[in-house]
Amino acid sequence: MDVWLIILGMTLVTYLTRVLPLVAMRNGPGPLVSRALRFVPTAVMSALVVPALLLPAGRFQVSASLWAGLTGAAIAWRTHNMFLTLLGGLGAYTILRLMGIV
Amino acid sequence: MATKREKPSSGSIGDGVATETVEEGQISWAEFRKGFTETLPLWLGIVPFGLAYALAARTAGLGPVEIQAMSIMVYAGASQLTAASLFAAGAGGCSIILATLLVNLRHLLFATSLTESLRQFSLLKKMALAFSLTDASYVLTIERVLSGQAGPGLLWGANMSLYVCWQVSTLAGLLVGGVIPDTIGAGLQLVFPLSFAVLLAPSLTSRSNWAAAVVAGGLALIVQLTLGGSWYLLIAALGGCLAGMLVEGRPERKAII
Repeated sequence: MDVWLIILGMTLVTYLTRVLPLVAMRNGPGPLVSRALRFVPTAVMSALVVPALLLPAGRFQVSASLWAGLTGAAIAWRTHNMFLTLLGGLGAYTILRLMGIV
Repeated sequence: MATKREKPSSGSIGDGVATETVEEGQISWAEFRKGFTETLPLWLGIVPFGLAYALAARTAGLGPVEIQAMSIMVYAGASQLTAASLFAAGAGGCSIILATLLVNLRHLLFATSLTESLRQFSLLKKMALAFSLTDASYVLTIERVLSGQAGPGLLWGANMSLYVCWQVSTLAGLLVGGVIPDTIGAGLQLVFPLSFAVLLAPSLTSRSNWAAAVVAGGLALIVQLTLGGSWYLLIAALGGCLAGMLVEGRPERKAII
């Protein structure tokens, strides 16, 4: 699929999530759906983080990426700070690579 | 007929907004400016995120015009990072659009909670305000908007401030992208999971959120190791939501968010 078509599709679905309740809904969704939707961000973020950190090459392998990822995750956990986390994770990766660890 | 809304004269957080009277369905520009300036400190937290997105999208092989256009049109950081990682993994267009939808489903909740506050607004205004609705501006202003202490102009101002910030930081990421050394370049694949880890950590505040995160993370691992592809997002999201609801049990009576 063409990149521009994908961007248009992303624009459309994203805008729909923002505008649909405002223009289409009088009373909000049912209570059950509301409760379920509250967990979507946490679940999706976890689903993105866990495999990417533990399976950086698509399978489990002890590597610079694994250690640097875990270092960054620990910093994220303690600080909630984007800058420190990326600095620590990418810094750890660079140091490990310079030490010859792949 | 339009009713008038008087600002609470004392004890209001929005005390910088004087005693302006705003017609229902109108935007107060004083509140808009207040929302815009109040949100400026958040720029510090968003700029690195925008830089990370631009760098990640570059390593994924997207062109600078496409990268900036995605920020202008989609304007949703987490889903743009997701899309970049999926582009890098060679995922198909449908998977990328579906993942975008999944990551952004939370907007439904934000918008749903605003239906009452925006009821008097014209369709055009609702559609304009919705376009830039985002987590940080919502969280920062929503209590005052829902309680009636401030009008939606406050939220709109905050929205637009963060929109400008996102464009500027995307552009900055594109401009510095060329001077990133190669040793760091190979480590940029870590930008995706680490950025999400930063977003995830503060949301783990309750047992039910923990359950959602653990089950979703576990399912994602299993599906990735067995089925592969990007369907793990959908499966993990559904499983995580279910787990969260089960652990939460009967909900206490409380307002959304």
